[in-house]
Amino acid sequence: MSDFKVIGQRVPKVDARRKVTGHQEYADDLRMPGMLYGKIVRCMEYAHAKVTKLDLSQAAKAPGVVKVLGPKDVTQKGYNSGVLDLMVPEPVGQMLGDIEDQLVFTDHVKFQGDAIAGIIATSEEAAERAAELIQVEYEPLPVYLTAEEAKKPDAVQFTPLKPGNLAFALPIQMFPDGAAYAWGDSEAGFAEADLIVEETFTLPKVKQCQMEPHTYVARYGDGGRLNCWTSTQMPKCIHNKLARLFELPMSRVHVIQTTVGGGFGCRLGMIAEPQVCAMAMAVQGKPVKVSLLREEDWLGSESRHPGKYKMKIGFKKDGTPISMDAHWISEGGGYYTHASGVQFTLGAWLAGTYKWTNFRFKGDRYYTNTTPCGAYRGYGNPQNNFAMEQLIDRALNQLGIDKVEWRKKWHKTVGDDGWCMGVTYASCGLDECLDKGAKAIGWEDKIKKYAKQTGSKRRGVGVAVMTHTSGAMPMLLEHTTCTVKINEDATAELIFSCSDLGTGAHTSLQQIGAETLGFPLEDVHVRAQDSDISGFDIGAHASRTLYVGGSAVIEACEDAKRQILERAATALEANQDDLVMENKKVFVKGSPDKSIDVATICYQGVYNWVMPDTGNWIGIPGQIQGYSSYFAKHNSPPWSACFVEVEVDTETGQVKVLDCVAASDVGKAIHPPSVEGQVEGGIQQGFGQSCMEAMIYDEKGLCLNNTFADYRMFGPSDMPKITNILVEEHDPFGPYGAKSAGEGGQVAPTGAIANAIYNALGIQFTEGPITPERILKAIKEKGLQA
Amino acid sequence: MKKRSISLTVNGTVHDLEVPVHRTLLQVLREDLDQVETKYGCGTGECGACTVLVDGEKAILGCLTLAASMDGKSITTVAGLEKDGQLHPVQEAFIEEHAIQCGYCTPGMVCKSVSILAKNPKPSEEEIRHNLEGNICRCTGYVKIVQAVQRASERI
Repeated sequence: MSDFKVIGQRVPKVDARRKVTGHQEYADDLRMPGMLYGKIVRCMEYAHAKVTKLDLSQAAKAPGVVKVLGPKDVTQKGYNSGVLDLMVPEPVGQMLGDIEDQLVFTDHVKFQGDAIAGIIATSEEAAERAAELIQVEYEPLPVYLTAEEAKKPDAVQFTPLKPGNLAFALPIQMFPDGAAYAWGDSEAGFAEADLIVEETFTLPKVKQCQMEPHTYVARYGDGGRLNCWTSTQMPKCIHNKLARLFELPMSRVHVIQTTVGGGFGCRLGMIAEPQVCAMAMAVQGKPVKVSLLREEDWLGSESRHPGKYKMKIGFKKDGTPISMDAHWISEGGGYYTHASGVQFTLGAWLAGTYKWTNFRFKGDRYYTNTTPCGAYRGYGNPQNNFAMEQLIDRALNQLGIDKVEWRKKWHKTVGDDGWCMGVTYASCGLDECLDKGAKAIGWEDKIKKYAKQTGSKRRGVGVAVMTHTSGAMPMLLEHTTCTVKINEDATAELIFSCSDLGTGAHTSLQQIGAETLGFPLEDVHVRAQDSDISGFDIGAHASRTLYVGGSAVIEACEDAKRQILERAATALEANQDDLVMENKKVFVKGSPDKSIDVATICYQGVYNWVMPDTGNWIGIPGQIQGYSSYFAKHNSPPWSACFVEVEVDTETGQVKVLDCVAASDVGKAIHPPSVEGQVEGGIQQGFGQSCMEAMIYDEKGLCLNNTFADYRMFGPSDMPKITNILVEEHDPFGPYGAKSAGEGGQVAPTGAIANAIYNALGIQFTEGPITPERILKAIKEKGLQA
Repeated sequence: MKKRSISLTVNGTVHDLEVPVHRTLLQVLREDLDQVETKYGCGTGECGACTVLVDGEKAILGCLTLAASMDGKSITTVAGLEKDGQLHPVQEAFIEEHAIQCGYCTPGMVCKSVSILAKNPKPSEEEIRHNLEGNICRCTGYVKIVQAVQRASERI
């Protein structure tokens, strides 16, 4: 398939010029006449408390204040900021047991940063000053930061709907075998094993750290319509959820997507849309803007799921992975949110990577008094990678088996069950990823070279692999619509709802549209910003935008192309099968002089009259529009291998990453620089999760590091040279053979860097992040390998 | 509320303003002058999203700079780097190297890059990385941003 004209080209991104000149508009850049400013009043003093008194009267009298709102002044309906309820069939939803336990403003504070009131004023400053005048008294409640504390019999219940503060466990109705995702008999497997290793890993609570803080504008007016401007990843789900929460028909809710200043899952579902819309409904006709401060964004929007991962794996002497038994217990924060989703997918990807003869996974999520957990790039897979890939390396060291060779031999591949049993892998380029990656990093030499080291600086190399998904079929709804409108000059507008999180998704979809239509790239324009215009799309999550959206674009463009060819066949008096469309001309195969311009067909479709002299139309009237309402047929998992080389200073505990090779099978790379960008950005986040990043809470449940100064990430000097290898193993289901690239980029780097540190020191770190303090402590306690 | 009269040049246009002494340059740019191309990322000088240039080459943080202290100064924002439809070499390089993802850090990142090259037109990769510390990008892993500064350096 080397005859692509647009696909695979390194074209400038659709939004690059606007972004590099500062002309791209983000939510906080919106200016509207009569705009008011909202402030969400949050409880910052306690992580768990009852509001016993809330006196808003002084705040209401403050200069510039238009309205103050307490819990009783807004809808009493509950909501769930997550969206899984919209994505599964009702019987499955009932088994999963998702609940709506969030309120716009609460009098039971469940985490530091919970919203208790709202202030609307003529300026941001006036609203902030008024917030200081609110008189509030709290009755502190016991704070639960771990699952062990939350599940104690006498613990305060977060909701009567989830006894024991157990938000979610894999349901027994779905998994009759002990409420576990399982096959075979894991205990019998361990009985046969020659080697068993087990460990409990601790995964940190990490934050997406998108650069644009959550910001919204809402206006209730226009004859009873609720308008909401939001940089959401899921405009159509928000459309549905806001309609439900405020009991409006969807035709009276209008969601306008603003540019997404970084997503990574943090804008998946609703964040502060309920509060902003409630404020707008209280001051009808006036737009209300709410811009979260960074320190507020940190606490008030969702994080990754932290937790304890108990894992036990067994092998035969020859390396046969005979059994895996894993139990993930997550501390999920103050509300239900994504309790069912993440706990489910963790097990799915754990099951999807290697050929365990026997397998068993359980996943629980408890309520805790911390920022609620939601979606973050990888949705459980990076947690798996840190634990599983390290534990496998520990076993392989004992078995004396090479880590690359073992992975090549035992990873799942074409024909095997994927992350969801019954959906088999249709393509897999992981062997090539491992071969090319190993060669690029110099695996064999370095493994030998670093086997015996002395001195204070120790080097190591590590590898990890991953498989992920492209969309969430068959577990979740996978539906995207696309309309392609052909203008009278034979240019096209692609209209859909998928957000572009900066990943290059819209550029790639534009390329797919142009390729399918046979139009030059510049003649295809992408429009995806408005719920009034766009049809349904489940949203930018599960690494699906290009995969499912791309297929919808192809189908819509093929529909339009078919109409063009039908009309050309009539005009040329030829059989449609004999026609070729190229360079915006349709001609009869073998007779290039017998042709018609696509522009003529499109023009006649729009501008047409019955001619008085003949009584006939000129050509065929009717504007050409193609349409697709596409349901994904597969989930075409991508694969990748990450190799990392580190140097650990055993006197300071500092880890310096010397080299990183990422080899990724993403299927056809539609826009290669975007794919590379996803891989490179994923590495920064994966390394961060393993070595630097964690939200830290004191015993009262107050966060100690909700700022960029205190929450360190890999900076430009920390990042190594990256060799980015794309393995383009064609996938039969993906649009032009493409699979996903976005989420997967973060997964393998988490395990690979941990394994490199293990290789350097001979010490395995079960608690993330692997900070210099933890390294020094471990060296002191355990000593270095010889 | 104490105010001060200042004369502030932004992208070549002189503005005579009465600013409260506690008002930041970022607030004045975004809210008083409606020049929203410079972004708020943290408000505490930790992320660099609000980076602008003083006298065309020195990078400062709009969120930590009091507007009152900028009397008589000339500020260039990312929008001011484009002249008559012609992009600055750093802007061109950011597009060509695909160094932009979500774009929210880009205005600050571009201004910082211009300041790096103003100080040393041929910086080493290490110098580029060192000088970009303080400007956070969560999307790119900095790979293509560093490449963009290198590419721009060849043209300046």
